[in-house]
Amino acid sequence: MHVLLLVAALAAQQIDSTTPPRPPRTIAIDERLAADFRVAVGDRLILSDTWGGTGDTVIVSALVQRRADPSEIARAEYRVRMHLDELQALTRYGDRVDRFAIATRPGAATDSAIRAINSAAFGFQAYRSRDIAVETSRTFLVVSRFHRAIGVITIVASAVFLLCIMLLKVDERRRDVAALRLLGISARSIVRSVMIESALVAVLGSGVGVALGWISAWVVNWHYRDVYRTPLAFAVVTPSVVALAVSLSIVLGLAAGFVAAQRLVRVPALDLITGRRAA
Amino acid sequence: MLLRLAWAARSRHRSRTLLAVLGVAVSAAMLLDMVMLSSGMRASFKNLLLSRGFQLRLAPKGTLPFDTDATIPDASGVAQTLRAIGGVATISPVLGGQAHVIRGDRAVSATALGVDPQVQGDFELLSGREPHASDEMAANDDFLNAAAAKIGDTVAVAAGYDPQLRVYAGRLTLRVVARARFLYLAAGQRAIALPLATLQAMQGPASADRVSLFMVRAAPNVNVDSLLRRIQTAIPTVSAISTETAMRQVDERLSYFRQLALILGVVSLAVGFLLVSTLVTVSVNERLGEIVVMRAIGVAKRRVVLQIVLEGVAIMTAGAALGLVLGLGTARYLNSILASFPGLPAAIDFFLFEPRDAWTALGMLVSAGLLAGIYPSWRGASLPIAVTLREEAVA
Repeated sequence: MHVLLLVAALAAQQIDSTTPPRPPRTIAIDERLAADFRVAVGDRLILSDTWGGTGDTVIVSALVQRRADPSEIARAEYRVRMHLDELQALTRYGDRVDRFAIATRPGAATDSAIRAINSAAFGFQAYRSRDIAVETSRTFLVVSRFHRAIGVITIVASAVFLLCIMLLKVDERRRDVAALRLLGISARSIVRSVMIESALVAVLGSGVGVALGWISAWVVNWHYRDVYRTPLAFAVVTPSVVALAVSLSIVLGLAAGFVAAQRLVRVPALDLITGRRAA
Repeated sequence: MLLRLAWAARSRHRSRTLLAVLGVAVSAAMLLDMVMLSSGMRASFKNLLLSRGFQLRLAPKGTLPFDTDATIPDASGVAQTLRAIGGVATISPVLGGQAHVIRGDRAVSATALGVDPQVQGDFELLSGREPHASDEMAANDDFLNAAAAKIGDTVAVAAGYDPQLRVYAGRLTLRVVARARFLYLAAGQRAIALPLATLQAMQGPASADRVSLFMVRAAPNVNVDSLLRRIQTAIPTVSAISTETAMRQVDERLSYFRQLALILGVVSLAVGFLLVSTLVTVSVNERLGEIVVMRAIGVAKRRVVLQIVLEGVAIMTAGAALGLVLGLGTARYLNSILASFPGLPAAIDFFLFEPRDAWTALGMLVSAGLLAGIYPSWRGASLPIAVTLREEAVA
């Protein structure tokens, strides 16, 4: 597609000195362009398809917000929306278009429309919007895979960290545990109590983590929406994400508690008190 | 002596020490990866841009090279103006487009680059020779495999397809004279290169005397920035982009990864620090009796502190060494994920290992280990000797 270049008059907002042969047409520009060049609704601009070429005077009639489209996220170019015939004339494109967007009735109408168009069409192909969206979102699919890989590494690090902390915590209480064992409390009860304690720690930690995650997501969205000037949501804390994080945390906490407690109860109580054998 | 004591203290709780080392190793691996990510793609992109020695790129006004289908008109006039500017050593014009290679009733599509073979900087030959004649072309392996062609074969190539008439436009028979590796194209992207005039002719009047890009090599000892300014003044219809400008653009587009690297790097360092400080604190609490006995028999406070700090540093160093190996493995895996970014040149590495990165990560971890041990060791060594001895004896 031809690229429209907004000529120098844009910054200065000069009024075209030549008399237009017809009343100026209207265009809509994206709000980033309006903000960067201080253009407002009602301003007159000259549009040209080449730098310094003869242009066409137009009036800005609307400012439009960028769509929440992942495929546009890294593209810094400005967008101008104009009447189709105006663009065709400006770019000498003739009676051509790049694509048609077709709205179908709900239900199976889309499939039958695609079949009908593709069997009757001469020179073009119909695609489902969803398929095009998948194709244009490939960048974000890669980023998602990257995030998942980072997530796995983080989970491994958390598991080791949790196990280490639980081990230290249980180790610290070896004298208490020895006393309980000497009083006749079974090893099973001690293991259970340690596991319940570690599960409680995991639940509390998860609560704090969810709150932190929610705040982080808010900060991330606020920051990157500003950086990329898009309404796109970069981080979303969904119930499924919370459920996964909390359940993973509890499972890891229980496992860490179990391992740590098992190591402790295997050592004879008297050895724990005298410290002859370290847990 | 100090090292032996530190080793003995750590050996007393082997599984605990092993877990701590493992935890630090995972943190170190993550830290190394993030250090590599923060600088790797930048260095890799710079290497790519400068790989053929062209410091400047001229694209149609307001665009980046090959970011749009826009072209520079009056290419021969622009080239003439460039040659007249002092300090310009080499000018390499490039026209981009699509090529459809017709094989029976099917067509293989590929990216086509029209170049001046004498000065081109877009591909390197793997075998064969530069396509000098107007009916010659070079192709990459992806194209040759898809088109089932090899050096010496002739193929029917079209520069366009009219969907309304269902006919190929700008058809020409070309001979494959070289296998090439295209420097700026994505992995798996099929590509051919042919003489500029040939591609211009195939694309028809719309591309007559037009190019997508000029690559400019400055003469030795010429200031590239001042050359860029002179070009911009002489040719206002193009955007002159220096390597630094291109780097800034890339930084802007990929700032997300740099910031992610910073955040995850800090988190990794904090996790390693917390792990070691917790371990050293618990270790000091367990050995209060031992510490005060050492103090009671005349061991200097400084020496006690040093011994405990050494324990933290030892854990961090061992974990970091293991983490560096682990980090290189994970970096390779993460790089393979990000390499599948659509349109990303195959030569770009997000995780580029440089020894400096390893030293940076190691330095940060050892410093964190040092800091993690200072407070608990100082606290332990500063306890009142008599009172603590008595409390420990009672306990």
